[in-house]
Amino acid sequence: MEFKDNIPIYLQIKQYLYRQIITGKLKPGKKIPSVRELAVQLTVNVNTVQRALQQMNFEGILYTKRGEGNFVTEDTTLLEKTKRELINAELDKFVHSMNSLGVSDEQILKSLSEYLKEEHSDD
Amino acid sequence: MTNPLEITDLVYKKNQKKIITDLNLTLKPGKIVALLGENGAGKTTLMRIISGVAKNYRGSVKVAGFTKEADRKGHLSFTDGLTGFANSTKINDIVKFYQILYHDFNLKQFEQLRDFMNLKPDLRLSELSKGMKEKLVIALTFSRRVDLYLLDEPFSGIDAMARKKIIKSIILWKQEKSTILISDHFVNEITAVLDEVVIIKNKTVCMQKSTEAIRADNQSVEEFYESFYQREEEE
Repeated sequence: MEFKDNIPIYLQIKQYLYRQIITGKLKPGKKIPSVRELAVQLTVNVNTVQRALQQMNFEGILYTKRGEGNFVTEDTTLLEKTKRELINAELDKFVHSMNSLGVSDEQILKSLSEYLKEEHSDD
Repeated sequence: MTNPLEITDLVYKKNQKKIITDLNLTLKPGKIVALLGENGAGKTTLMRIISGVAKNYRGSVKVAGFTKEADRKGHLSFTDGLTGFANSTKINDIVKFYQILYHDFNLKQFEQLRDFMNLKPDLRLSELSKGMKEKLVIALTFSRRVDLYLLDEPFSGIDAMARKKIIKSIILWKQEKSTILISDHFVNEITAVLDEVVIIKNKTVCMQKSTEAIRADNQSVEEFYESFYQREEEE
């Protein structure tokens, strides 16, 4: 895992963990690695991991069992919402980048459906 | 809680030449901090003053609240090269020396670190590459239990694999409340493990800032550091 150095790393750690959860690598109700394990695995500062986990606890996507560590929520509504937010964030980036190329929303829709059709015919 | 390091109005001269002037620096517990500056900026001198190797300075240097050199040495861990040992010295003999010198030296911890670094105990100093020597210095330094660890340019002249191993060992073996000060003249590759950077320029500390605060301004730590020296070139 490579981190960009001009974006706060705790945000990137959160993004990384969201993805792990959405893709099922970290499962609902299951314990996630300890703060230190994550820090070593991602080669980042322990305090930074701590900050990311604190925020995710606050958001409810993780919960803490005293003395046991952090667990992924089993709240399916919240998990669905997190997934939607992740998708929206990606769409946001994509649309923004297309707009900055001078492509209108209508053209994006048209280009995208043409692109997907071509991609599928390739398969 | 007492700060691991508090320096007030430090002035240091060598041969009547000022090396450090009006330097103030406080480090909080539980931080990993980079001490950055060009070669010759005074980073090593500062570490030698903190650790009590360099004497005859003016100002106050407190380590974990202690000002006396002997007390300071008991609360910090610093391996000043391995220059005091003959080339034929075996790793094991250096360890014996450390055990005698430091009552808080933890042999078990050293052996774990040594194995993690893949160093064999019967190797002689002359048989160690630069990277291996640096790994040994790290293993020795982290085998003590203190408030402040000083690492003087641990990454200079060593390959990427050794560097990665050293960084991982820092994350693994750092105690929660202890603080590590790492000097370097450049900062890429270790930025993700840093809490703060301290920049030395014109013989004093010109900046101390949290790395996440730098990133929150959409700047990389490397760009931030370089901007201090670019300004000088433009002047």
